[in-house]
Amino acid sequence: MDAGLLKDDVHFAGGCTPCHGGDDTQTDKDLAHRGKVKRPSEDLSLCGKCHGATAARYSKALHYTTAGFRHVVTKRMNHKEARDYNERVFEQSCRSCHATCGSCHVKAPAVGGISIGLIKGHRFVRRDEGKTCAFCHGGRVYPEYTGDYGGKADVHYQKGMMCMDCHSAGALHGDGRAYRFKEEVKGRPSCRDCHRPGNEERLTTRIAHLRHEGKVSCYGCHSAGEYRHCFECHEGGAQSKADFVLGLSPKNNRTVTTLRLVPTVRDSFKKQGVTMTHYDRLPNYWDAPVHNIRKRTDRTRSCEACHEEKRGFIVKERLIKNGSRSNAGVLYEPRPIPAKP
Amino acid sequence: MIMKKRGKFLSVLAGLIFVGALAATASARELEPVVTTAWLEKNLDKVIVLDVRKVEEYRGGHIPGAVNVAYGSWAIKRGELLNELPADDDLRDVLGSAGIEPASKVVVVGKTATPADRVDATRVAWTLIYAGVSEVSLLSGGYDKWVADGKAVSTEAVRPRAKDYRGRFHKDLVVTKAAVAAALGKGVIVDVRERDFYEGKKKLPFVERLGHIKGAVSLPTSTMYEADGTYKAKDALAALAAAAVGADRDREIILYCDTGKFCTAWWFMMRELLGYKNVKVYDGSMMEWAKDPAAPMEP
Repeated sequence: MDAGLLKDDVHFAGGCTPCHGGDDTQTDKDLAHRGKVKRPSEDLSLCGKCHGATAARYSKALHYTTAGFRHVVTKRMNHKEARDYNERVFEQSCRSCHATCGSCHVKAPAVGGISIGLIKGHRFVRRDEGKTCAFCHGGRVYPEYTGDYGGKADVHYQKGMMCMDCHSAGALHGDGRAYRFKEEVKGRPSCRDCHRPGNEERLTTRIAHLRHEGKVSCYGCHSAGEYRHCFECHEGGAQSKADFVLGLSPKNNRTVTTLRLVPTVRDSFKKQGVTMTHYDRLPNYWDAPVHNIRKRTDRTRSCEACHEEKRGFIVKERLIKNGSRSNAGVLYEPRPIPAKP
Repeated sequence: MIMKKRGKFLSVLAGLIFVGALAATASARELEPVVTTAWLEKNLDKVIVLDVRKVEEYRGGHIPGAVNVAYGSWAIKRGELLNELPADDDLRDVLGSAGIEPASKVVVVGKTATPADRVDATRVAWTLIYAGVSEVSLLSGGYDKWVADGKAVSTEAVRPRAKDYRGRFHKDLVVTKAAVAAALGKGVIVDVRERDFYEGKKKLPFVERLGHIKGAVSLPTSTMYEADGTYKAKDALAALAAAAVGADRDREIILYCDTGKFCTAWWFMMRELLGYKNVKVYDGSMMEWAKDPAAPMEP
């Protein structure tokens, strides 16, 4: 520990024990560390002593409850299966992925057994997305955004924007309501917060936006290309593969958007004795807010890319083997461009 | 009538002289190709410092006044190939949003901790010159050296005023597989990968075959650096280059590596520092060449 830090930061005013426990009257290391708490902010009430309102809101935020994991997958289960899943899988495994206050402000979480440790020498940092968001979201979203997968860096990253320039602290800490999944959260960032269709400089761009309004998501046209899809991560031997998949959004069945493969397979929870009677209720593909946005893509450059060549649109033959019967619902065939009279 | 003709002749002559003067200006460098931290510290107000490290690294501390456009915006994946040039209009956007114009004096700064870090800056420098920026330099030792030398660091992000970039692209600086095939036995082809790769003892997973392009000479990128990531002195670099490619400054030289990134380091030194006039990059490099079973390789 940096002695200067101990002196300057009010968090250390009482030494180590108010947060980490132990006995600071002992000179023997083992005795001093007896009863030590490794991750003190697991107990939100500790931070809540000073940051009461934030801690109270955060106790219901999705980053803390990880409720999104539970509420989506349990749609594939009957009532008893969902209860078993909750006890045997969610509480034992999925729930461990929640972020404590310390995960974002003190010590980056261990992901897959790997941790970079303290973010900045036990300083309490306001934000450091490259060492926090990047770890939990480092399998897919973050490297897509920075271009580290060897694709194209997101245009917002090119212009120096980081996660919290769109995903505000208020949104991450929550608004005090317990949501079941992220789609329920009000005030999530939207492209339209900054980019309002109708004011485009070029007429062709304006027309393209108006024509596709409600029919194609922003990602559908502006995702730069391939992004990561995970396979078999619940079967052992997880693999990931780059692909670009366009199809109908399972959420509204009307909008063409980028889709990502959901890694849940029929026997994902077989080892825990949990089956999914209603596995086919949901497709294996889900809306993907791909973070590799570019102003120009194959699809913005050419109408033919979608309307003639159908590039990227998922077809029956490309669907995963032994997948959900609902997968047929994401298939979409773009209409050809009408011939000029 | 005669007066009219003479007037026309004089105006054409004046035009030719003006164009000639412009060309001479364009080829005359005011900025040294490689600059030191001491020089840059004194000249921060005269150049655009382009920091190509990641945004999060830049936000953690950067050279005062530096603008940041991370490497991933300068080189993209195209089809199966890594580290390819973006489309011209995309590249113009990237340059314009960084406030760079063809006449800008740009010093490119990256990290130098690892061999792969070091060539981010050279690939970006090559891309800038390809896009028509005439005065591009590299900071020897990069940001690591700047910090090691105890120079001032800022955490204030710079938002450059966007420009409409209208530079003329130098398409002749990059060659295709067909052009490499045509140059076999004629021009000098240079493999800048490490010796084990050149000699066919090792290869990267995405390169299909062991070995090098038939007839290529070896000039590893690692030979140009001192231990601290700074560049060797000009004389030492000149000797290394001459030993590999000879002293003829007009001969066609084609450089390649695995993906087209490492080879930009020697490209920059040969063309910008040592005066080789006809140096090109094979952007597809071994990733593309070795995939074609008909493309000749050895040993």
